[in-house]
Amino acid sequence: MTFLQPWVLVALPLVALPLIIHLINQRRFQTVPWAAMRFLLAARAMSSGYSRLRHWLIMLLRMLAVAAVILAIGRPLSRGWLALAGGARPDSAIVVLDRSPSMQARDPAAPETKLATGRRQLAETLATLAPQRCLLVEANQLSELPPSALADLPAAGPVAAAADIPGMLQAAYDHIRDNAAGSTEIWICSDGRTNDWGLDDGGWAGLRDAYAKLPQQVRFQLVAFDAPPAGNVAVRVTEARLERRGEARELLVSVVATRQDSGPDMTLPLKFEIGGVTTTVDVELVGREAVLANHVLPLGRGDSARGWGRVSIPADTCEADNDFYFVFDEPPLRLALVVAEEAAAGRVLELAASIPPSKELVARAERVPRAGLATAPWAEAAALIWQGPLPQGDEGKLVDEFLARGGQAIFFPPEAADGTTFAGVAWGAWLAHPQALRPEQWRSDDDILANTLASGALPVGELDVQRSCGLVGDLVPLAALAEGLPLVARVPDGRGVYFCSTLPRPRDSSLASEGIVLYAILQRLIERGLEPLAGARQIDAGPSASGLEAAAEPAARWERLAGPAGGASTEAAWLAGIYASAGQLIAVNRPLAEDAATVASPERIDSLFRGLTYTRVAGRAGRGDSIVQEIWRAFLIAMLLALIGEGLLSLPRRRATTLVPPARAEAAA
Amino acid sequence: MLSDRQPRSFLEPAVLARLSGVPLVARRPMVGNVSGRHSSPHRGSSVEFAEYRKYVPGDDLRRLDWRAFGRSDRYYVKEYEADTNLRLVLVLDTSGSMAYGSTKPAAQAGPQPLVKIDYARRVCGALGYLASQQGDAVGIACAAERIVRTLPPRRSPAHLRLVFDVIDEAKPQGTTGLCDVLHEIAETVRQRALVAIVSDLFADPEALAGAFGHLKFRRHDVAVFHLLDPQEMAFDFQRPTRFQDLEGGTAIFSDPVEIAARYHAAVTAYLETLRRIVLEKAIDYHRVLTDEPYEQVLARFLVGRAAARGLR
Repeated sequence: MTFLQPWVLVALPLVALPLIIHLINQRRFQTVPWAAMRFLLAARAMSSGYSRLRHWLIMLLRMLAVAAVILAIGRPLSRGWLALAGGARPDSAIVVLDRSPSMQARDPAAPETKLATGRRQLAETLATLAPQRCLLVEANQLSELPPSALADLPAAGPVAAAADIPGMLQAAYDHIRDNAAGSTEIWICSDGRTNDWGLDDGGWAGLRDAYAKLPQQVRFQLVAFDAPPAGNVAVRVTEARLERRGEARELLVSVVATRQDSGPDMTLPLKFEIGGVTTTVDVELVGREAVLANHVLPLGRGDSARGWGRVSIPADTCEADNDFYFVFDEPPLRLALVVAEEAAAGRVLELAASIPPSKELVARAERVPRAGLATAPWAEAAALIWQGPLPQGDEGKLVDEFLARGGQAIFFPPEAADGTTFAGVAWGAWLAHPQALRPEQWRSDDDILANTLASGALPVGELDVQRSCGLVGDLVPLAALAEGLPLVARVPDGRGVYFCSTLPRPRDSSLASEGIVLYAILQRLIERGLEPLAGARQIDAGPSASGLEAAAEPAARWERLAGPAGGASTEAAWLAGIYASAGQLIAVNRPLAEDAATVASPERIDSLFRGLTYTRVAGRAGRGDSIVQEIWRAFLIAMLLALIGEGLLSLPRRRATTLVPPARAEAAA
Repeated sequence: MLSDRQPRSFLEPAVLARLSGVPLVARRPMVGNVSGRHSSPHRGSSVEFAEYRKYVPGDDLRRLDWRAFGRSDRYYVKEYEADTNLRLVLVLDTSGSMAYGSTKPAAQAGPQPLVKIDYARRVCGALGYLASQQGDAVGIACAAERIVRTLPPRRSPAHLRLVFDVIDEAKPQGTTGLCDVLHEIAETVRQRALVAIVSDLFADPEALAGAFGHLKFRRHDVAVFHLLDPQEMAFDFQRPTRFQDLEGGTAIFSDPVEIAARYHAAVTAYLETLRRIVLEKAIDYHRVLTDEPYEQVLARFLVGRAAARGLR
């Protein structure tokens, strides 16, 4: 139990006062010579268990009354199950808020969202605890926080981004370590979504060890709002594509509505809003998902090709996933720069890059000699396809600048390795495989070898590789041959740098003959590289959206065109909506993982804090009471009850009516 | 009769003078050796008519009722009650429990409360004096765990002095062996007697019933003065108390408030049992609280007996 005035507890030995008084009284007895011992012995023999119990009950109640007074003066705090945690007022309190869209779910019968309830309860808790310092982890940085402001602070308000709980705890750890804070309580308010907690993040073990080694006392208090919202449906636009029909343009929008729990089939009205015009389309929600594919929204002839829109569904228990913003524009030219020292390979690569994925798109691959790199159209290019020795010097600078503004690059091996490095990676020696090797494993869930939108897998496993070039450096394999030789790999520096360890020549591999894989790799690279060049971009809210690679200017300077009310302008990259930045339209939405109601089990989350002082409190949206509240009144009531009980037990028993002297009674008769 | 010795503290002449107006009579016929105030199982020459009986040869012709012969032509002998003296055996309980006392008599100015043995001395002294005054024989037995001292019943005034000496010198000590003492008296006092027991009767009621039955079997007239101190009845101590047994037993520490109810229940049960026993055994039982004047108790005792005799 926590006390605001724990020093009062030094008086707890006074609980023994009734016992001491009892013992003193026992010592102050009178001695009486007595004749009628037989009656006394009979009375003692008749003494029931209750009488003896009553005696000790009175003593116990007196001790309880004294204890209750002392504890009440100590101003005890109730924390529900946290009462067992123990401890006194902390020096610092750090608030880690999960502000993700799923925290905006509410109980059907309650007006408050999980986040609002958590903020209010934490504000009340911090006001009661009154730590010397109170800090809020905001975008992995800590800022001073007046406890009373927590409930209204925009920086603690809802966002569209997923929460990065491990990152926030890392920031809290850095603060405690760097500032040598005293005893600290870290209050985490979250709904336990697996994507927010990064349960598979290998950094948890290190973070836990780091906290365990801190000399300060650090207590973790998790307020878990892990009850899934009932009947919640999330809407998401999977594709918004502009197509021409003669002079007119049409917008093809694909929408997915996902229900997070099972329920009866229902008709779900999808409301499209584009340029102030609203249309509604009913879709049947059967099971957990409803799909509206390529819904055609005609655009006027005079309308600009660039625009934005919003899809909405009726209000339910979580409002944060009822809207989805999208932007559209004429697709830009799909320009790829091809630098190849080997002519045959270069032709294959140029061909694969120059075929657009659909007839509405315009694709071009421009062969660039190494000597002409400086004059190449870098600004319009989406991807760089490089076969030959790795770029060095000025070439390297050009490529770095290209990558820094969001361009994508893939490197194929030269005929002879020269030991040069780029992005920390160098080519090794060529390996000949008399028996052609086939990729045994590849990343089909993400990146450039991911499955198609129709969930079809790329035929990566059907590639035959007769020769492969070794790769030296820090790489993340995306496809690996037998014996762990990488076929396709990515440099984990956050830029779009890829390596392929073979060439699309018949004597090296079947990349050309089985051209689907090569084509998909190059087109996906071009697609990614087009994002910074496109007039309209669709991005997930969060830290990646606020990076330089996401837009031409920082998110703080984005102009907000549409979106829910509230939120600070500095958090543009974290709030859903439509933004304009340097002539580009940006639609910011919640990440896909937020639509999945995957809640980590309490045991799984508890295991993350194994070995640390950690307590979980069950939270519920709309719950009115506080997490921590002073309960001295309860102790005073307990004292009163103890005294009343003691008084009742101490009342003398009703005297027997036979006390009338019998002799006199007889005489009277 | 009492003037040549030092005054006895347990004798109050004024009280004795007032009590002398009522004779001490036995409830049952006594077998005395001299004429007295008490009825005898034998026919005698008193003035009180008893019955007619047919004449048989050898009867004193002077007792023939000639008037009855004249009316019925038959010989009848007229018989009269025989009056004789009685033997009063005082049984004075001198066990340790008789040393308890919590009340002060009104006349007593000193700080010492009236203990039960003092009260018993006065009752015994007065009864002995009254019996001796009317020519009855008086004896005494002091009972503790056994008979401590005893004097057989005698009629002489000198013997009464000895009885008073025994009463005066009686000291409350030892355990209670009243039942054994009563059995012994029943066996040793052969002739019918009035056995007056003055005791707090802190003994097993069933054993007492046996002793009373033994006395009754020997045709003794048994009177019991059951002395109880008011505090023994009230038991209204307020503080934790260590009760020291006056008869040498183990001391008991207790909170009287805690056990008062059960104490009263035990006393009530005991008195009820005793009441049943004395009714069954036809004992002249008098429960006496020691804050009651002993004169009042003795007057009630004497008047009750005299009234019973008058009704016969």
